[in-house]
Amino acid sequence: MSELAVSIKDLKFRYRGEKKLALDGISLDISKGEFLVIMGASEAGKSTLAACFNGLIPHYTRGAIKGDVIVQGTNTADSSVPELAENVGIVFQDFEAQLFSTNVELEVAFGPENFAVPREEIGRRIEENLKYVGLEEYRNRAPFTLSGGQKQKLAIASVLAMKPTILVMDEPTTDLDPISKQGIFDITNQLRKRDDITLIAVEHETEEALNADRIALIKDGKLVQVGRIEEILKEVELLEELGVMPLGIPKFFKSMGYPDLPLTPDEGIKTFHKTGWNISEEKYTQLLDKEKLVAQHDDQPIFQCRGLEHTYPNGVKALTGIDLDIYKGEIVAIVGQNGSGKTTLAKHLNALLLPTKGDVLVDGLHTKEQGVFKIGQKVGFVFQNPDHQIFSELVYDEIAFGPRLRGVPEEEVDKRVKEALEAVGLTGFEKEDPFSLTKSGRQRVAVASVLAVQPDVLILDEPTTGLDYKEQRSMMDMVRRLNDQGSTIIFVTHHMWVVAEYAQKVFVIKDGQILLNGTTREVFAQEEILKASYLRPPHFVHFSNQLGKTFLSPDEMISCIERK
Amino acid sequence: MNIDFYLDIDTVIHRLDGRTKILLFLFSFLALVLFEDPLYILPIALLILLQNALARAWVNIWRIRILLLILTVSSVIMWNLFASGETHLFWFVDLESLQYSLARTMLILLMIISGMNLLSTTRNEELVLAMIKLGLPYRVGFAISTSLRMVPTISSSIYIISQAQRSRGLDLESGSILERIKKYIPLLIPVFISTIRGTNVFGMALESKGFGAREDRTFYLKMEMAKRDFVTLAFSGAVVIFCLYINFLDYGNIAGLTKF
Repeated sequence: MSELAVSIKDLKFRYRGEKKLALDGISLDISKGEFLVIMGASEAGKSTLAACFNGLIPHYTRGAIKGDVIVQGTNTADSSVPELAENVGIVFQDFEAQLFSTNVELEVAFGPENFAVPREEIGRRIEENLKYVGLEEYRNRAPFTLSGGQKQKLAIASVLAMKPTILVMDEPTTDLDPISKQGIFDITNQLRKRDDITLIAVEHETEEALNADRIALIKDGKLVQVGRIEEILKEVELLEELGVMPLGIPKFFKSMGYPDLPLTPDEGIKTFHKTGWNISEEKYTQLLDKEKLVAQHDDQPIFQCRGLEHTYPNGVKALTGIDLDIYKGEIVAIVGQNGSGKTTLAKHLNALLLPTKGDVLVDGLHTKEQGVFKIGQKVGFVFQNPDHQIFSELVYDEIAFGPRLRGVPEEEVDKRVKEALEAVGLTGFEKEDPFSLTKSGRQRVAVASVLAVQPDVLILDEPTTGLDYKEQRSMMDMVRRLNDQGSTIIFVTHHMWVVAEYAQKVFVIKDGQILLNGTTREVFAQEEILKASYLRPPHFVHFSNQLGKTFLSPDEMISCIERK
Repeated sequence: MNIDFYLDIDTVIHRLDGRTKILLFLFSFLALVLFEDPLYILPIALLILLQNALARAWVNIWRIRILLLILTVSSVIMWNLFASGETHLFWFVDLESLQYSLARTMLILLMIISGMNLLSTTRNEELVLAMIKLGLPYRVGFAISTSLRMVPTISSSIYIISQAQRSRGLDLESGSILERIKKYIPLLIPVFISTIRGTNVFGMALESKGFGAREDRTFYLKMEMAKRDFVTLAFSGAVVIFCLYINFLDYGNIAGLTKF
């Protein structure tokens, strides 16, 4: 066995004021130069574990701790966080909160400055690390003017400048679009090849864990399994049970009863050819015909954008020449890179923003004339972060807020709150404090509070960000149910598999314009154009594209397979 | 949304050392409080406005014009209540108290402009480093810079939160004052909570970067007083001494003014 970087022995931790153990007897050895990914459901203890590596637990976040965390021979209990910082760097998910400076260079300098590194040496490290993450050109910019992906790269550079031997990353890419994610993973991959640094990452996206050496699966603060990625990622059922998204390709072959499971698209194609299975042309055509039926409309569109343009007061042109129609009863996804204008577009649909040129019509009425109060009655908008709207002490009052503002009588309010809670699966939570719920619970409260106004259309901005796989599924299943009951749904997202499995139509936005639109299948078939807007379909869709047909989920493909 | 006041341009004032600019700010204050008579304040006002023009910082003054207007109107009226004179004009206003009000108003406006000159031309880090070099402990300096840094973060979350609540039907523009105050609760609580959550990560990130690991610390930012700093300080120092001298000779006061 090679030299150990970290050794955790029977670690238990309970947050102050909580009854449940957040970590419950974890023992784990990590060798030098290794890349370990920690996965598991929300609240499983992943971030808690990540905070143990550099002593944030128990020194910063207090609670009852038992067991040992030995980092490079030092017990974290015996030294402070700043002392450990020289050895262990950590990058957080929230890229705003971890940057302190008004200038990129000074941000990188901050860590070494604290360790009294000589000035010339700091200059050298700034040079080296900005180059490493590809931010040399931005050295004099203010960090808050950078994009999300660039901020996260800067956070990594600023940690690397302290020359840590262990780098911990707590969901570094959760809030990033696919291409920015890729940028971070490229850096991770470069780092992985260096044997002087041990990488530990908490990660949600299974496709990205493929680069790691080992995966540790965590549930309820316990280590369920740890092993090489090839072994763990084949355990499709175990992953699903733990709230971790299994890869589409092994899932497909597993459901088909094939014994030797491939992981990547390339492996998948090789294996597929070996099986001798066939995709039925007839069934595939049936699939397409069914879709055509859904896509036909003879009614008037509920949303019409005509030559929509939006220029922000600071002169930045966010949208140009947008023409789009959205019909009643559709589920539409709006996708694009961070800063492409997709949220700006969505905000035009409920009059939160008004066009600076062109028109937006809702049900044939101009948003400019109606305003957000009136349009808001028809079009509900669920913001990305539920904490940006929740303020009541009781779930009931939070959901009743919208209807009450609109002068709905109390009896009717009561009825609507009950219905909304039922729709989001929170019946019985009326008297709970919304702030005590998990992120996914708070997200549901936010959706319910919009539903209670009984809008015809629901717009959701990043409804699945920050949720684990199980929660993402149940959130989107709920959205689909609402659609079945007649609501028109529009959602903005970075999660391509969510688009693949839930959207009927997709608008791809790039630089404030619609680059591509059509049914989800049509859009995902055009991988080259998607690439140009920095998006890529999930592995599984890519795999089926290589086989000449576009399938959006393993189940769809299974229904079209003919065995010889 | 960006409400950082620093202007990233290159001007004579930008190139001055942070310490010089802080001292200029203090000198302005010292010179301004000496006089009761607006006529004596006028030359100092011109110097401060000259500094503003050289720094091309008028944009920032323009940004807060409404605040300044409100301050001007209320201040010109209010100070009359705290002073009286011998030449009665109307209501509670005497010629002397009016002059005094004008002087106080100029003091307030000029201090804001002078402060804006400092913030428009000095980076957060330079400001803090300058304060430390002038004798402030590092941790205090860092605390100041952190609170400055929080301003844009909080203002952008206020913007998002007000959009979220407006789309739920909250109308902040109608109703009596009491009703309107009540309407701000759905804004304030989320702002408060999300700020607290952000601060927690901020604290963790800070310690994880070795904040306070050692007694000594390097400052990457270089700060050196150049010839232009000494010239500026010599000139402004001379102005202040001259003002002190005039004041010592009892000029610049308003005859017949009684302050309460």
